[in-house]
Amino acid sequence: MKILVPTKRVPDPATNIQVLPDGLGIATENVKWVINPFDEIAIEEALRIKERLGTGEVVLAAVGQKSWQEQLRTGLAMGADRAILVLNEKALDSIAVASLLAKIVADEKPELIIMGKQAIDDDSNQIGQMLAEMLGWPQATFASKVEIKERRCTVVREVDGGLETLAFALPAVITTDLRLNEPRYASLPGIMKARKKELKEVPAESLGVELTPRLKVRALRPPSKRQAGRKVSSVAELVNLLHSEAKLI
Amino acid sequence: MIDFELSGEQKMVRETVGAFARDQVRPAARSADESGAIPPELVKLAWELGLARGPIPETLGGFGDRRSVLTGTLVAEELAWGDLAIALHVTAPALFAFPLLEMGTEEQRRRFLPLVATERFAAVTAAAMEPRYDFDLSALATVASPNHSGFTLRGDKCCVPLGEQAQAFLVYARGEDKSGGARAGDLQGTQVFIVARDTPGLTVVEREKNMGLKALATYELKLDGVRLAPDARLGGEQPADAARLVAQSRVALAAMAVGVSRGAFEYARDYAKERRAFGAPIATKQAIAFMLAEMAIEIDAARLLAWEAATMLDKGLNALKESSRAKHYAAGVALKTTDNALQILGGHGYIREHPVEMWLRNARGFSAFEGLAIV
Repeated sequence: MKILVPTKRVPDPATNIQVLPDGLGIATENVKWVINPFDEIAIEEALRIKERLGTGEVVLAAVGQKSWQEQLRTGLAMGADRAILVLNEKALDSIAVASLLAKIVADEKPELIIMGKQAIDDDSNQIGQMLAEMLGWPQATFASKVEIKERRCTVVREVDGGLETLAFALPAVITTDLRLNEPRYASLPGIMKARKKELKEVPAESLGVELTPRLKVRALRPPSKRQAGRKVSSVAELVNLLHSEAKLI
Repeated sequence: MIDFELSGEQKMVRETVGAFARDQVRPAARSADESGAIPPELVKLAWELGLARGPIPETLGGFGDRRSVLTGTLVAEELAWGDLAIALHVTAPALFAFPLLEMGTEEQRRRFLPLVATERFAAVTAAAMEPRYDFDLSALATVASPNHSGFTLRGDKCCVPLGEQAQAFLVYARGEDKSGGARAGDLQGTQVFIVARDTPGLTVVEREKNMGLKALATYELKLDGVRLAPDARLGGEQPADAARLVAQSRVALAAMAVGVSRGAFEYARDYAKERRAFGAPIATKQAIAFMLAEMAIEIDAARLLAWEAATMLDKGLNALKESSRAKHYAAGVALKTTDNALQILGGHGYIREHPVEMWLRNARGFSAFEGLAIV
């Protein structure tokens, strides 16, 4: 089975993010870039499906700058077979990325697409859904368990207050939740092999997709600083403040 | 001429092993130190990184990776940053595999490398150190006497990691025959022998009780007239270049000392930024800030010394001198850095709630270790 795993490069969750003075972006110097953690889970799941079936191909995809190669190589070192990087320098909105990925799908014809439910930088949580709609494929988002038998797939989703189980036929789009699996570490031999694996670059303009963003970022600002706590001298004072100031009771 | 930029591959190795050290090794370190044992699941995960198995040829069950001492120092630093005892345990099979890989005869490689090219952790190791005040790798007290049927080994070894569970050892001994030995002047005569666990005359004595590295099981070994076939000598007729092995081991230990130092430095630095005294973080006091600055400088210097020696070894050059300098300097830096880190934490440094006292105990060993790691 051919599985396509679209990925995104994001700042390491441990990075201290600084907003640029113009308030329209973040400072990217000194930012450590990693594969979106949800996409890492998707790569792991794709590899496990391939290993269980004993056959197949895991193809990574990304839409971004040339330097995103580094994160794709990391995915290849984990065990993916090859990667496609759609080269694009400018900021894109979700619909453009989904449209570009749809073109890749038309070309590659995977039977399954697995991707992170959202990227941890902008938390949009849109591309999996958009892509499924464009392709006219079933979608199962927020997967916490995936089972594939022949051409049928069962996905357990974590929803408010419980679990929901979906069953559908392939091809389909699955987006991964946090508890689906624990991604493996790339092995040293895997890293050495990754260098020799195919990493194809495709210019975004060559795919005939409207790239002009329909969304405009107006402003970015860091969360407001937390106020220091205050010590009170008695329970009575605390209750009083909770009532009069915090208006909690 | 000089380029300190790591290759993309090396960066990825460093990041991957660094993430492993951060997420798996560091969290396991304290309880391993307390219990004197490393969880088997952790050893299994570390083995899956393919450190020792990677460079073994595919025909012998490995992955055929090109081995690089420099890349090895990156691995050693990251693992030791996580925990030194765990780092030494999980890399111990390389003590057996890498010398065989580089210097074994075709027949020795074919016979013994498959022991390491396995899915599960391969318990093979080396025995270099001796329980003597005058221990000297160039004048070992363990002697290999040639005789009509091969060699007889006599002597005592100590600090042998994995001793009890090991299936085979590389034993360092003084060769008494005239066939020469190592090519570098002062290690001529030091030879290396492949000894299977069940060879008569070999006894694994009880586990040692050490000041630090409490999670690492080390053992004494007694070699009491161990009779070996002529082909048990590493390299066969052309005895292995012990100077090169010693150099590789010193580079590995230097890199591990850098890892331990970096861990202690980062911990003390972060603590100093948080901890307030007289109305300000103690990191703003010069007594602390100068100490931290010096620690950072010395750690970088130690790493550069290790990288220099590693680069020379990768070029096939003799780096006995450079690796010895790197190891000597890094051992001093590790002791000083962990001690300073403890000082910066003040009373908190001395209690077991923080890892710093454990790092100080571990770092104290570097000036004594020889042949305990290889990359």
